Amino acid sequence: MNKNSNLNDLPTDSVYKSSFRESIWILGIWTACFLYTVIYCYLNGYLTHEPHPNSTGPAISSLVGEIESFNRLPASLTTPLGLGIPDWVFYGIFCPTAVAIIITIIFCLFIYLEQDLEPTDDE
Amino acid sequence: MTETSLATIITFVTYIFGVFVLAAVSHKLLNKKSFLGEYFLGSRGLGSWALAFTFAATAASGGSFTGFPSLIYSYGWVLALWIASYMVAAICSMGVMGKRLNQVARKCGAITIPDVLRDRYESTGLGLLATGTIIFFTLCNLIAQFKAGALIIEETFNFPPDWGYGVGLLIFAVTVISYTAYGGFRAVVWTDVMQGIVMVVGILILLPVVVRQAGGLEVVNQKISNKPPTIVTGVKGPYNDLVIQLVGEIEVKGIVYRHPQRPHANLSVNWDPRLPKQNRFIEIWLATNEKGETISTGNHVKQAIEQDPYLGHQFKITFPYDNNQIIVDSLGRSLEKGATGLINLSKSSGQEHFVFIKGEEFLFGPGRSSKGVSFHPLGMAISFFFMWALTGMGQPGTMLRLMAFKDSRTLKRAILTVTSYYALIYLPLVIIFVAARTLLPELTPENSDKAMVLVSTRVVSNLGLGYQILGAIFVAAPFAAVMSTVDSFLLMISSGLVRDIYQRTINPRVSNYTVKWASYITTVVVGVIVSLLATQPPDFLQRIIVFTGTGFAATFICPVLLGIYWKGMTRQGALSSMLGGFTIILGLFSPTLFGGDRIDLLGLHPNLWSVGGSFALGFVVSKWTGPPPKHLVTRYFYSK
Repeated sequence: MNKNSNLNDLPTDSVYKSSFRESIWILGIWTACFLYTVIYCYLNGYLTHEPHPNSTGPAISSLVGEIESFNRLPASLTTPLGLGIPDWVFYGIFCPTAVAIIITIIFCLFIYLEQDLEPTDDE
Repeated sequence: MTETSLATIITFVTYIFGVFVLAAVSHKLLNKKSFLGEYFLGSRGLGSWALAFTFAATAASGGSFTGFPSLIYSYGWVLALWIASYMVAAICSMGVMGKRLNQVARKCGAITIPDVLRDRYESTGLGLLATGTIIFFTLCNLIAQFKAGALIIEETFNFPPDWGYGVGLLIFAVTVISYTAYGGFRAVVWTDVMQGIVMVVGILILLPVVVRQAGGLEVVNQKISNKPPTIVTGVKGPYNDLVIQLVGEIEVKGIVYRHPQRPHANLSVNWDPRLPKQNRFIEIWLATNEKGETISTGNHVKQAIEQDPYLGHQFKITFPYDNNQIIVDSLGRSLEKGATGLINLSKSSGQEHFVFIKGEEFLFGPGRSSKGVSFHPLGMAISFFFMWALTGMGQPGTMLRLMAFKDSRTLKRAILTVTSYYALIYLPLVIIFVAARTLLPELTPENSDKAMVLVSTRVVSNLGLGYQILGAIFVAAPFAAVMSTVDSFLLMISSGLVRDIYQRTINPRVSNYTVKWASYITTVVVGVIVSLLATQPPDFLQRIIVFTGTGFAATFICPVLLGIYWKGMTRQGALSSMLGGFTIILGLFSPTLFGGDRIDLLGLHPNLWSVGGSFALGFVVSKWTGPPPKHLVTRYFYSK
């Protein structure tokens, strides 16, 4: 099929185009949250950084060097703002959740387009 | 019957009455609109609140209120990381799929996900495969959800263990099957809104009550940290578990039950302090009969350790919740209190290891099970961040809701609502059940599924008369969560059978009247079949729920996502991605059928491998078999 010769004459569906663009934004937001949360919590909230001998699969952490130096000492636990939430949970999960809510509001208000989803008569 | 039970009954009856009223109103609408579109998709007319609550309530299943609290109870604060990706789950699953899937479904007039696949790729086979897969995974999930519903009723009304589960199952099944069959999709959505509100209100009230009763989170952390190293054994078979606390000075890793592999052996307890610390276990050699079968109970083990002149001072041994409750059998005869069941060991290994868990392990990652297995190592942290947010897109139940909203403004408002809703549900649940650890009795891994109900019925109602109604509302929250998932899944199966298989494949000229009655009857029959299967329920609800959620994602996310976003996706690519994802997930979970553990290649959850494999197959096969028919590309990717 020589599709380009004919399809190029047609306008690309606007919902497809904008949804694709918005999906790229969303993927970026997910990636930022993923990298921050998992890395922060893993480095600051784990007593041990090697899987237990009984767990399945090899140690992924062996790929990133002397990770054992991040092993958390129980006595070092703090609870920011006196809320009783462990520091690594507060900074690694509660704070980014608040930020993610704000980003979602901004995304919905300024980036996500409102469009007509009904097909046209000849569709 | 206690006063608490009376308050609970009144709340439950009121709640169920409300559900039936909504179903009746919804049923009236069925007669005014096109039956199939209304019964299975609410005529594509969902507003913001309805979309938000039905989306969130369907996602927040029995797992959220039984399995998730159970995991928090068992592993502590690390569950905040386990669930963390819900911070972006709404924007990912609704934002990426919502607008475009809704548009494509409108273009092809689809009212089910198999409809979308069948029309997007012009393939009846693909539609039928999708229907078959949905039925398979949904049935597995429904059995687990029915178990959750039955357990909640059993525990709430304090029914005796020998018949309580059966009666709980019957009450749950009759309620949910009737209103779903009678009211259809709109009844499900309206009840989801009601259930969603009950869930969030219940949790937000429960949060300060439980934290306050526990003495504040600072005190909770301190209590957890100071708790002696503890083992809660989880041996196969009922009423044989023990809670063993290390209160002395010896350094020992745990205990191991051993089968002597010979008849007429006596029970004996051994330990060797000269062994290196990492290998130092208390060995308990079980007694056997003339056939060589073990005849020791938990009570015998307790006695043996306590009577040992040295070890007796090192351990405090008690019974977990439920073992302590069994004082009569089904015939009313008195039984020995405590761990009265025989200890059954795995025949292949003839031994069971249990390790002591220190209090501090509940405050940090990665968490450990009583068998010593790391709960949330890095590979799992990565996998679960993918799972809830990205592969959550691939759930047919939630995709269906994205086909049902009215317009894109509705979707936008719903994304904002659901994002806040998830934050108000999941993070407070983590706090509540970390705090509840200090208030609840010791639970075995199997019994920890009851944590939510125990908090509602035992902890809160203990506060006094004024809290009894409040406690009943809290119990309604998990009940609502289970019902809101079950009703959606029941409709998904019946829509698959009636719409995708019967109307679109076998008899396209079927009359509206026949379709209508076929839909009612199918919903009831499916519900009855699931109820019968749930009479022999599986253990570990959350494991099944994760399996089915992963299975859905592995099968559906690629053909749907690439189908709406990639012009080059072909029918063969879609078929390969579905079959590939399905096969990979079954393969990696297959050891669990034989009592083993699932296969986590490179420490990553099967979810990542199956979804990754599905996308790889979809892409490669489409490139190989493409390009797709021009009229399909024109129809779905270009304006005319």
